[in-house]
Amino acid sequence: MNLKLHIWRQKNNKAAGAFEQYAVSDISEDMSFLEMLDVLNEDLIVGGKDPVAFDHDCREGICGACSMTINGNPHGPEKATTACQLHMRKFNDGQEIYIEPFKNKSFPVIRDLVVDRSALDRIIESGGYISIKTGSAPDANDIAVPKAKSDVAMDAAACIGCGACVAACPNGAAMLFTSAKLKHLNVLPQGQAEKKKRTIAMVEQMDKEGFGSCTNHYECEAACPKSISVEFISEMNFEYAKARATAYRD
Amino acid sequence: MLGFLKSNILSKFVVAITGIILVGFIIGHTLGNLLIFAGPEALNTYAIGLRDLGPTLWVVRIVLIIAAILHVITTINLVRQNKKIASGYKVSNYKASTFSARFMGYAGLTILFFVLYHLAHFTLGFVDASTFNMEATLENGRVVHDVYSMVVIGFRNVIVSLFYILAVSFLGLHLKHGIHSMFQSLGIHGKKFTPMIQKVAAIVALIIVISLISIPISIMLGIVGGQV
Repeated sequence: MNLKLHIWRQKNNKAAGAFEQYAVSDISEDMSFLEMLDVLNEDLIVGGKDPVAFDHDCREGICGACSMTINGNPHGPEKATTACQLHMRKFNDGQEIYIEPFKNKSFPVIRDLVVDRSALDRIIESGGYISIKTGSAPDANDIAVPKAKSDVAMDAAACIGCGACVAACPNGAAMLFTSAKLKHLNVLPQGQAEKKKRTIAMVEQMDKEGFGSCTNHYECEAACPKSISVEFISEMNFEYAKARATAYRD
Repeated sequence: MLGFLKSNILSKFVVAITGIILVGFIIGHTLGNLLIFAGPEALNTYAIGLRDLGPTLWVVRIVLIIAAILHVITTINLVRQNKKIASGYKVSNYKASTFSARFMGYAGLTILFFVLYHLAHFTLGFVDASTFNMEATLENGRVVHDVYSMVVIGFRNVIVSLFYILAVSFLGLHLKHGIHSMFQSLGIHGKKFTPMIQKVAAIVALIIVISLISIPISIMLGIVGGQV
């Protein structure tokens, strides 16, 4: 297949960026989207030009490194699919494709399609953990976890932290990410002791990073490569209000 | 007291709770207005009944005014923050967002201006003082403000009616998204409940729009108020 690409090029965070047009030809429809960009970059390097910088790591949809907005959709048009798992057969021969970085003021562009998502790491650092005594391993099944709760925890823990929810949100909110990270700990018995403190800390760090607020467009859920449900946002809303309302007791 | 404005989630709680109050008012107001189809006696009796509530009426009014002010300032504050952080794409391509969701702000501001005009027109009598001073005599002999004629004469003005129809249509869009969003904001959700409340929100919004729009249309067509 032959494609016409419009790719956002930006030297660094200070520089002004712009779209540049590239034509790629003889692309196999079995290639992934990133492999198609690899082909482009090889051509650019051979031609003595700067290759397009983009984030990638596992290329099997589980690491959350790849991050690009393809024709207005973070990770592209497919449901529950990361950009690395998106195949070129989903596009048409001769199609024009606009490729942009994940856009959010809290995700500064490092170069081209690479953005700095450490704002999400700082939300995790503020409370996305369980304090435990290290030492010898505890007995397996020492703490009973009901199946229904472990299922919910696994659904929430499926979040790979890629930031597509933030990039897709018309309000630039990080609520799907934060609520999933809260839920997978808050629903388990091991997470109970620090539940209130964690909920307040992570939500307030999210606000501090400048992320927006949810107005229920649900673009986040639609963009999420792991189909994390917006019901976690609703629960976070309630849990945060409850935690704040009862904070005076602590 | 306005400390909640610093928190996105608490702001959303305030928007949802004030939204519930305002939706409750709209439903009550719509039901009351439909009395126009029962004739002058019914509407004028209902109107003077509200006035006769005295202090209770003022408590309701103050609650509504506070709810409306909080609803507006909180959403404006949230939108300002969201505009600062979000930036659009070259190609905008929505997968889930609805028109009513994206239109919330424009609809809300139109409704705000409409409500101010509507109050000036029918509650404060700034728009047309001559119709505001009309009197009607009820069957029990009591002389009261002739709300029925005021509404009929008001809506015979095509521009007033068209603005009303436009604002009420926007209100419908606002409610379609707002009624189910308030549950999500307050943490009330469920695999069956959420799709159900989305449908209920759309149906309630549609019923309100049809009910309210039927009034100016009936008046302009002469079906209601022919004798005024």
